[in-house]
Amino acid sequence: MMTATPVVETRGLVKRYGDHLAVAGVDLLVGPGEIYGLVGPNGAGKTTTMKILATLLAPTAGEAFVTGIPVGADPLEVRRRIGYMPDFYGVYDDLRVWEYLDFFARCYGVPANRRATMIGELLEIVGLTEKRDEYVETLSRGMRQRLCLAHTLVHDPALLILDEPASGLDPRARVEMREILRELRSMGKTILVSSHILPELGEMCTGVAIIDRGRLLRSGSIDEIERSLRATALLRIELLGDEDAITAASEWLGTDSRIADVLGGTRSSDGAIRIEASFDGPPEAQADLLRAMVEAGHRVVGFSHATSDLEEIFLKVTGQIDEEAAA
Amino acid sequence: MTATGTTAQRPARPSAAREFVASVVTIMVKELRSRMRGRRAFIVLTVYLGILALITYGVYVIVAPNAQGITGGGGIGGFGGPANASALIGQSIFTLLSIFQLILICFIAPAFTAGQISLEREKQTLDLLISTPMRPGAIVIGKLAAALAFVVLMIVAAIPITAIVLMYGGASVDDIVRQQLVLLATALGLGAIGLFFSALLKRTQAATVLTYITVLALTIGTTMLFIFWSVVANQTEGGFGAGAQKRAPEVLMYVNPGVAMLDVVSNTEPGGFGGISGTLAQLRGNAPDFGANVECIGNECRPVDQFGEPVDDVAETGSGYWWPRVSLTFVLIAAVLTLAATRLVVPAGMRWAFRRPAPPRRLAPTTGPAGNLVDDSSPVIQELNEEPDR
Repeated sequence: MMTATPVVETRGLVKRYGDHLAVAGVDLLVGPGEIYGLVGPNGAGKTTTMKILATLLAPTAGEAFVTGIPVGADPLEVRRRIGYMPDFYGVYDDLRVWEYLDFFARCYGVPANRRATMIGELLEIVGLTEKRDEYVETLSRGMRQRLCLAHTLVHDPALLILDEPASGLDPRARVEMREILRELRSMGKTILVSSHILPELGEMCTGVAIIDRGRLLRSGSIDEIERSLRATALLRIELLGDEDAITAASEWLGTDSRIADVLGGTRSSDGAIRIEASFDGPPEAQADLLRAMVEAGHRVVGFSHATSDLEEIFLKVTGQIDEEAAA
Repeated sequence: MTATGTTAQRPARPSAAREFVASVVTIMVKELRSRMRGRRAFIVLTVYLGILALITYGVYVIVAPNAQGITGGGGIGGFGGPANASALIGQSIFTLLSIFQLILICFIAPAFTAGQISLEREKQTLDLLISTPMRPGAIVIGKLAAALAFVVLMIVAAIPITAIVLMYGGASVDDIVRQQLVLLATALGLGAIGLFFSALLKRTQAATVLTYITVLALTIGTTMLFIFWSVVANQTEGGFGAGAQKRAPEVLMYVNPGVAMLDVVSNTEPGGFGGISGTLAQLRGNAPDFGANVECIGNECRPVDQFGEPVDDVAETGSGYWWPRVSLTFVLIAAVLTLAATRLVVPAGMRWAFRRPAPPRRLAPTTGPAGNLVDDSSPVIQELNEEPDR
């Protein structure tokens, strides 16, 4: 038995546009209070998945539940429980900021006596208090983004579905957006957020699902995903020598069974040639590899880990699948 | 799906009707806020009333000096004299005002609605709007009502100008009421046509063009078709004007607001405005000559044929006029197209979900973790099941 109803659950979600499979069987499970990231390159199916959850698209197959309610069966009830921010959206530019929020509050049936105070609180949260009486069209992009975020909160929903909330923002505005999301989480909101950049989500997400071409590649906490990939380290080896030496080194590395593949030969400015190889083994084994390599006569000037950041995890995961598909 | 549908048979959720009305009001408030803001609305209204005032003055200047002469020789209804001259001025003003107002409304009403939904699509605001729990029907009706509210304001604001005719006579308060009804019905019908195309097409431009083509087809198109049809029908019988004629089906003209307005202005009390009335009658095919053959008992006049018998076609609707039929047709058109627009606003593939809150095929999976999940949230599901199928 489950202890708590998941806020989002999808099972075998499929969306087909003609021949194109936008979402090909995605299973998601997001518990209450999570910030859950959907990560994937553009066109991976993130937006489609979110639109299905936001009751704006009907899935071709599969089921989706928001707080236990089947999305297709009662869209109006689902809508009362979610706040949705699309990836691309416009604003009614001939309204003032407070009127914009007031409009959406009315749309969600917020009683009149609660609207005024609530609008003040929301503007406080997203940092637009001073802009209350400005026209929406005068706001900067970051401010509009925050205003749109505020509009998703007018009815105090359990779940926020935010599609690329940080896209097109400058670094500072991104940080601000991230801070706001943290604050919302501390208020008990469950947040489903998408991005095509994993690091953007890494720091704040409790869980991540990596999606590519409509398929769910990995899901879990970032640590879990990282650990599952940590076993293989990406080594960056810098060598001196001409083309033959490089080829020889690559071949030598290729004979080692622990080396999965060798990406070779970018020449750096100081004349060294850089080879990258993914190596399956603990640090001790890596040290042995270096010694053996030097003993074999290769002129190694650099031997390091290629920094394994989230971006790389992401590339690895999506890349691995490519290979699996090719094999 | 609409207010009337959900209200009556939904005792379980008494707030549904109120919710619907609140949604309509929400949309209207927002639309009117941005529409009435700034000088645009003010200028449009001023120009509109200015044109009507100019027409009124122009008609007066032209008709007044000649009215005495026209009516002096025992003219309409055989009254003659200054009183009738005054009535002629009143009738002329009423006629031209009504027709011009109708023409202006034919242009303005669709212009206000043809962008209502497609503009939201173009500005990418529609998704935000339809992801709210407002019923699609409420959104569409709110949009239509907001656009029409301003048109209604224009129509009503012109009443004082029209009321000048009461000073001259020739048209009564009843006539002004009829004129208003025709204008309002026309605005409603044409507005709904604009809204429908706006929901149907992605681009506002395309929606506007198609709307105006439709308006032209309804006015000029039907008239030409009617005449052409009648001529063709009569030619086989030996020429137009030879005795009682065959004519095109009358229903064709029920969608023509111009006919309704001509009907109103040509049947003003007392006696009507001969010239136009004759043309209209010709169009109808029963050719009552209001100028000569009208039987007046007190203030009530009705057309009669050469033998003094009341003209059937005219008599059968009481006052015998087309404007109620045309107005009713436009109200029906508006209802049908608003419904159609509602369906177009609902995301594709989800239309059924808004009609039936709990279709069995998607509900309550019985196995797996999600089965428990649904059980856990039983209050929600119960609520779902309680919702009766409208």
